[in-house]
Amino acid sequence: MAAEKLELLILKTLALTPLHGYGIGRRIEQTSGGVFRVTLGSLYPALQRLERDGLIDAEWRASENNRRARYYRLTASGRRRLTVEQKDWERVSAAVSRVLKAT
Amino acid sequence: MVKKLWRRGRELWRGDLMDRESQYELAHHLDLAAAEKVTAGLDAAEARRQARLELGNPEEARERLREGRTGFWLDSLLKDATLAVRALRKRPVFSAVCVLTVALGVGASTALFAVVDAVVLKPLPLPAPGALVRLYDTNLSKDVPRTGVTTGNLADWRCRVRRLRGIAGHYTMGRTLTVGGESEVVLTAQVTEDFFPLLGVAAAVGRTFTPEETHAARFNHAAAPIGPDPVVVLAHGFWRRRFGGDPEVVGRTILLERRPARVVGVMPEAFAIPGPDVQVFMPWGLTGDEPRDQHYVSALARLAAGATLPQAEEELRGVADALAREHPQTNEGWSVRLVPLQEDLVGDSGRTLTVLLAAVGLVLLVACANVALLCLARGLERGHEAAVRLALGATHRRLVWQFLMEPLVVSLAGGSLGAVIAFGGIALVKRVATGLPRLHEVALDPRALLFAGAATVLAALVSGFPSAWRRARAEPASDLAGTPARVAGTGARHAFRDGLVVAEVAMAVVLLAGASLLVRSYQRLQAVDPGFDPRGVLVAPIFLDMEAYGGAGKSRAYYATLLERLQALPGVVSAGGATALPASPLGPDFERPVWPEERPNDERWRRPAWVRVVTTDYFRTLGMQIVEGRPFDARDAPQAARAVILSRGLALRLWPDGGAVGRRLVIDYSTAGTYPYDVVGVVNDVRFGGPRTEPRHEIYLPHAKHPYLILNVAVRSEGDPRLMAPAVRNVLREVDPGKPAQGLHALEDLLGATYSRDRHAMLVLSAFAAVAVLLALLGIHGVLSHRVRERTREIGIRMAIGANRAHLLRWITGHGLRLVLIGVGLGGVLAAASARLVSGLLFGVVATDPAAAVAVAALPLVALLVSLHPAWRATRIDAAEVLRAG
Repeated sequence: MAAEKLELLILKTLALTPLHGYGIGRRIEQTSGGVFRVTLGSLYPALQRLERDGLIDAEWRASENNRRARYYRLTASGRRRLTVEQKDWERVSAAVSRVLKAT
Repeated sequence: MVKKLWRRGRELWRGDLMDRESQYELAHHLDLAAAEKVTAGLDAAEARRQARLELGNPEEARERLREGRTGFWLDSLLKDATLAVRALRKRPVFSAVCVLTVALGVGASTALFAVVDAVVLKPLPLPAPGALVRLYDTNLSKDVPRTGVTTGNLADWRCRVRRLRGIAGHYTMGRTLTVGGESEVVLTAQVTEDFFPLLGVAAAVGRTFTPEETHAARFNHAAAPIGPDPVVVLAHGFWRRRFGGDPEVVGRTILLERRPARVVGVMPEAFAIPGPDVQVFMPWGLTGDEPRDQHYVSALARLAAGATLPQAEEELRGVADALAREHPQTNEGWSVRLVPLQEDLVGDSGRTLTVLLAAVGLVLLVACANVALLCLARGLERGHEAAVRLALGATHRRLVWQFLMEPLVVSLAGGSLGAVIAFGGIALVKRVATGLPRLHEVALDPRALLFAGAATVLAALVSGFPSAWRRARAEPASDLAGTPARVAGTGARHAFRDGLVVAEVAMAVVLLAGASLLVRSYQRLQAVDPGFDPRGVLVAPIFLDMEAYGGAGKSRAYYATLLERLQALPGVVSAGGATALPASPLGPDFERPVWPEERPNDERWRRPAWVRVVTTDYFRTLGMQIVEGRPFDARDAPQAARAVILSRGLALRLWPDGGAVGRRLVIDYSTAGTYPYDVVGVVNDVRFGGPRTEPRHEIYLPHAKHPYLILNVAVRSEGDPRLMAPAVRNVLREVDPGKPAQGLHALEDLLGATYSRDRHAMLVLSAFAAVAVLLALLGIHGVLSHRVRERTREIGIRMAIGANRAHLLRWITGHGLRLVLIGVGLGGVLAAASARLVSGLLFGVVATDPAAAVAVAALPLVALLVSLHPAWRATRIDAAEVLRAG
């Protein structure tokens, strides 16, 4: 999966609720109906990039199994970015599907 | 914004903590995934396995997070460096060879750069040095391209020329100085009024001369100061040596030619005009009626603001033409040339140095290529290790860095060691290359260190790039599958390695060709007959002073006693003196126009001739041949008729049909009149300036009749003349304790000094060529050895299917020979292309001399011998064992 696409999915996932890394991965897999499989090697570097860009924030909290986990949360600028990117994506994908359907 | 900075800072400083955090986070992620699978009914171990399969290698993710972090670069650099040092220490011989190779390359090139920089590149340490020029008189109608100027013209130029701001004359000679009762002969310079102001250098202690002091200063015809209340300015070195750097030195008195002179100042340490050996400066006042025909003055000037050198030269030539019309007798045909001072000081040393710098650059490149070869071979051996690391999660970039790190560490260590070598090399150059201008400015200064740094970086890049490049393109799977591959590898990697060897050989060939040409040229120089026999001759320059020896015949008496006592020394064959000895820089050396008495007032028969006053045994002592007539003897007494002996070239010029002896020669002393001399003899021509110079026209006068104060005394003895020095010193002290011996030299050394630059260039280039050839041979050996090791299996198979040893030998040595021959061909082309560079240094040899070809042709033979060792090793391979191991 391309890095930008993954980043958009992460932002969308975090827009609903803060989650830890595993939670993000699971949510993306479930909501995509198993189409997207998120590996460690792609998920965490993406989180690192988003955090560096100030689009998400992280804090340590106790997780459901009572171990400490890093929970990621969308920041204000992350939310703004999501709106922009989402519109962008919808526009592009609509265009792509129009092209593909045209015969 | 602040938050971003904070995060970056945290990544930089707490990188290790964040690494541990991410490690925990990744592990937790896996744990959660596994736990979910357990809930779904899998057993714990299987759950973990599947989770890993689905999610990928956590170590790889961790590594990528690390790379994404700020400061990763620095962090991994340190880690890689530590790793590299550890790896290098495990192979001390390999590492030492690499480090030493780079150290030699960096050291030699840095030392040479420091010399070139100080001599050629750096501007003179004077204010606005670009505007300083030297003035030369020139007279093309008399075949005098350039010579000194005259005091008479200098005074007029000063008044009439506007585009030069100040014109100064100076004259340098050895004079006896006495400080605290201890006498020595030192080089002194008498300088006219504009000298210090135009150079723009103030005294470090006290002051330079006032115009009043300069106007009052006078010299007699023997250049001894005779003005009232003489003053001197000391050079920094003399001040430190003789006064211990006493800051209260101003006002103290020293004896200059036995007359008291007051010290008014000390020049700064860096001041070295006219030369670094000048120890004392004296003012020089010009009178209204200075001569216009004695071209012995060195002249300096500074271009006026806005004036260019051609403009100033044009104006000065106009003035010279006007003076020629005003004083036709002395100035007819004379004009002036301007030369930038820096160019004048450096002379043609620059060309020699450029050649050597180019050569050392080649050596450095060969050294780097060799380290590259070694690292490349090592990198191939480590292909397996690299593949394993790649499989375990190391990224490509990391791995390339790690492979680059070893050459980098080697280069840094080599570079540091190289700086030490450069330091020693510079000290050596300063001791040996004494003829080099501006030598005192040569030092391992920041510029030289910067160069060393640049050379080190270059070494690191050149030596590290090949293995890093190879690593970046490596396929881990092939490396892993075959264990270290023991069959022929891909063609590209060998082409690269072989290319390096070819380049090495080519560069070595260029150096070898250049060196053999210089060796040949030096042999030719040594074979030139200078016209005298320097072997066994010791030279002692003696400067008598006016004060004690000014009276009639006093110097004649002194030299008669001295020569008699010297001749009485055991082992001495003969002793004689001359105002100026060939190859010896000290003493009065001047030209006078001469012509046959029977052809007066005829320009065509007027020739300038160098005048030497000599004692009776001079020709015998120097081993010169009287070709016609007689030498000077007791007949040439003070009251005898004027007698002269001519050099053969001059005799043939003036009397082309022979028979000079018995004729009369007129010598023109200009203002002092013209006098006819009986030609009593003709002596062979002498290459006065050494074997590189052409013989001059010379006339010799007998010292008994013309008792000069200054003579260079030559003592011929059996055996080593240097061993005579203590005895000669004793005799001098006995004859006059106030005239101690100064600068005793073997004439052979003085003659050698006239072509010492050829000698040094030859030795240095030969050394470079030797190093380059050695490195190239090492490279060939290394490549072939590695080829054998790499193809052990192939060789085993070949042997198993019937290849015999002779065939194997041919196979391995043939490969080496092919590389060498390509290299020699390439190098030959390069050498021919660069021959123009070296041709300026050659004497009696053309750049296409076969000597070069012979030396180069020997290279493949030596290379063949070197390649026998790895080839022999190939034949020792046990086919059965290799096949079993495979």
